[in-house]
Amino acid sequence: MAEARQITTIQAAAILISTIIGVGVLPLPLFAVHAAESGAPFITFISALVAMASLVLVSVLGMRFPSQTIGQYSETIIGKWPGRIGSIMVIAFFAILTSLAAREFGEVVITAVLPRTPLEVTVTVMLLLAAISTRNNITTFAYIHFFYFPLLLGPALLITVLALKNADTINLLPIWGNGNIGIKGTIDGILTIASLFQSAFVLAIVIPSMRRPNRALRASIWGMVISGGLYVTIVLATVSVFGSEEIKNLLWPTLELAKATSLPANVLERLDAAFLAVWVTAVFTTLFSTYFFTVTELGNLFHLKDHKMLSFFLLPIVFLVAMLPQNILQMYEVIRNIGQMGLIITIGYPAFLLIIAWVRGKRGDRT
Amino acid sequence: MPLFRRRRSLKKKAPPSNAAPPDRRLEEVRHTDMSGRLEEVVRVINGLLGDNDDFVMRELRIFGRHPAVIFYYSNMVDQAGINSDVLKALMYPPPQFREEAAPRGRLKEVILCDALHHTEVKLESDLASLVEGVLRGQAVIAVDGIDEAYVVNTRSILKRSIDTPATEQVIRGPREGFIELLGTNLSLIRYRLQTCDLRIKSMELGRRTQSKVAICYLEGVVSPDLVKEVNRRLSQVDIDAVLDSGYLEQYIEDNHYSPFPQVQYTERPDKVVANLLEGRVAIMVDGSPLALLVPTVFNQFYQTVEDYTERFLLMSAIRLARLVALVFSLIFPSLYVSIISFNPELIPTEFAVAVAGGRAGVPFPAIVEVLVMEVSMEVLREATIRLPQQVGGALSIVGVLVVGQAAVAAGFASPITVVIIALTTIGSFATPAYNAALALRLLRFPLVIMAGIFGLYGVMIGLILIANHLLSLKSFGVPYLSPLVPGNFQGMKDLIARAPLWWMWRRPSFLFTGDKHRVDESTIDYVQKPSNDVLDPLKFKEDRKER
Repeated sequence: MAEARQITTIQAAAILISTIIGVGVLPLPLFAVHAAESGAPFITFISALVAMASLVLVSVLGMRFPSQTIGQYSETIIGKWPGRIGSIMVIAFFAILTSLAAREFGEVVITAVLPRTPLEVTVTVMLLLAAISTRNNITTFAYIHFFYFPLLLGPALLITVLALKNADTINLLPIWGNGNIGIKGTIDGILTIASLFQSAFVLAIVIPSMRRPNRALRASIWGMVISGGLYVTIVLATVSVFGSEEIKNLLWPTLELAKATSLPANVLERLDAAFLAVWVTAVFTTLFSTYFFTVTELGNLFHLKDHKMLSFFLLPIVFLVAMLPQNILQMYEVIRNIGQMGLIITIGYPAFLLIIAWVRGKRGDRT
Repeated sequence: MPLFRRRRSLKKKAPPSNAAPPDRRLEEVRHTDMSGRLEEVVRVINGLLGDNDDFVMRELRIFGRHPAVIFYYSNMVDQAGINSDVLKALMYPPPQFREEAAPRGRLKEVILCDALHHTEVKLESDLASLVEGVLRGQAVIAVDGIDEAYVVNTRSILKRSIDTPATEQVIRGPREGFIELLGTNLSLIRYRLQTCDLRIKSMELGRRTQSKVAICYLEGVVSPDLVKEVNRRLSQVDIDAVLDSGYLEQYIEDNHYSPFPQVQYTERPDKVVANLLEGRVAIMVDGSPLALLVPTVFNQFYQTVEDYTERFLLMSAIRLARLVALVFSLIFPSLYVSIISFNPELIPTEFAVAVAGGRAGVPFPAIVEVLVMEVSMEVLREATIRLPQQVGGALSIVGVLVVGQAAVAAGFASPITVVIIALTTIGSFATPAYNAALALRLLRFPLVIMAGIFGLYGVMIGLILIANHLLSLKSFGVPYLSPLVPGNFQGMKDLIARAPLWWMWRRPSFLFTGDKHRVDESTIDYVQKPSNDVLDPLKFKEDRKER
């Protein structure tokens, strides 16, 4: 284990940021506006706080068991078989997350840039890309995230800055929303947005490879502040440019924002295709994280020495799940439902584990 | 000895064939001491080497009385030296023994200490070593009645003179390049590094070539584990021939299937020395003018010697230009293809119209056009290298001007395509390291194909695959993209820009060097202090008045 502990705190934060920023950014303003109309940025902020709970729980658990992944310490905490059932649930959830993200981005690609390409092709390409890259160890996993995360922040910030030209602050008022949407709708929206953050659960397998596991909490706070800040910024920019009523008619408001902006001096007339191209990296890092989690945890569950074999073995299953939703509307329906149910797994399950661990007084070996 | 063992097992399994394994007859006499009987030694050595017409076996009488024989290959030795320092010295007894002959018992010592006028003489008794000495170009003198023979290093191989390095020319910096002879190359390194910490260890690799391989490093600077690992990897190499350091490179690199080079080569001694000082290990092979440097990270491939000898601000800008050229040579054609065929709305309308106008007569899709032009450019480039120098210039003019112009005029390619191809090609020439440029040059073909299928999306997929591969590569355990990933801010001073030398006062941290400091703190302080104006005109005002 000594040589495997290579991941620094900055790298761990980078993993979280690039994992969280993904395809979910594209429909994000739509979800937020559905929850609170002009209060969308505020709601996004609240959701980030909710998502923070999951990360804090995972990091506290991880710091309690600094040399084990979630699958291993769940077996110590609640016993062998219940722990395994819990792990299987988490693994299955992450496999579904992978397939839904691949499907969602596949839809975006065929709608926006490659209208004559079959959906199956774009989904397969993304999944293959993730699968090929999962045949690496966790150090390379960290390197890859660390390399890409500036590339994710750059274009997103560039587009929001350029969009400010067309922004109108009146669209953002009142900050708390109009109150047209009932409390149920708002909570529903908060949970949906919070579910966009939940791939950050991958921290649970990163902690045992961190050079200083006790800094996991710091890494997760940094990761959350930067990615949550980016989410809020994007919602802010989109709402201030389009206004909440307009956004309700747009499927991917962030993409529309890119379409509406152009670089100064007309170097590039429209930015949507370029933005989407750069966004491939963002989606890739998310898929890579969730799929890596699925594959390595499954490998741990079966006590395999090497998870490489699994990465292609699981691919057809993930692909089939991705193809299950009939159309784009049903897909978003599924994404909302699965996402909200997922919160039980990403917040409820670690909370449950932590409480049991407290009660039973279990803790891992401190290294 | 693994070599020996394998041969034995071969003998058991393989049916007897005429092709004897290398040096089988030599192995038969290994560890057989010469008995002191001259006829025996002559018989063995003559049996092994006597078939060759350039082999010389000359009989003589030492001090006029003791019979002896000298063996050597006539074309590999310094004949004049043998005549004056060996033959003459042995035939006439030294002055102190003119009066009375040297006692027979002390003859061995007298020859070595009083007679032979040569610095490099050693005594050998193993017959196989004697034969190997002759093969290496040494002269072997066997004397009747003495149980050891004298091996005199009279080797003299013709060599070319030290020249400016052909592939790594600089405007500012030393003009010397390595030549083929290992000894000369080592001397070039040694005179630049006059410290007792410089270690040169040598081994012989290649069953038939017995090439001398030297491992150079700076004790106390280099990580000892690295030296151990280099030694280990090299000693695993048991091959027929090591004709160039390139052969070794392919056996010691980490990932054999990667298009990216994981070992840097150079023909500049100053570059080798700079790398030794950073804590790397250099591997030199006799017969090859190229030294290998390990471990290698990607940023070395776009750095040059001049970056450090010229002013840092300007060289940083030039390094940036080189980096742009590197990126150009990889992605420019694929970006062009994807924008033209999938997203023409990205570029400004006027330009899009101009491009469309240029492409109006071209019957092929952009990808076919670009691929055909790229392939012909590669052919042209290869042809220019192979052609005799006198014709080369003419051909490149024909290729670039005539073919390019004619292709456009014939409606085969659009003018903008020709511009793109030209920029790409020039970009790939701007990369200092040929092997890295080659990798990126060839990777642009799959990228163009991906661009033709999926547009910008495909280009990104291709780039992600390449980047992930680079991120997973390692050279002797050092991540290939260090110091960018894993982040090391000290190292980033030499990554894209080149910081002033005294800012980079540490050696690269990813090499885990022993001695970490390159620049003493007092020097750093001194550089930052305001300079002393010795010849300030104000000071000399008084003087002038007096005059």
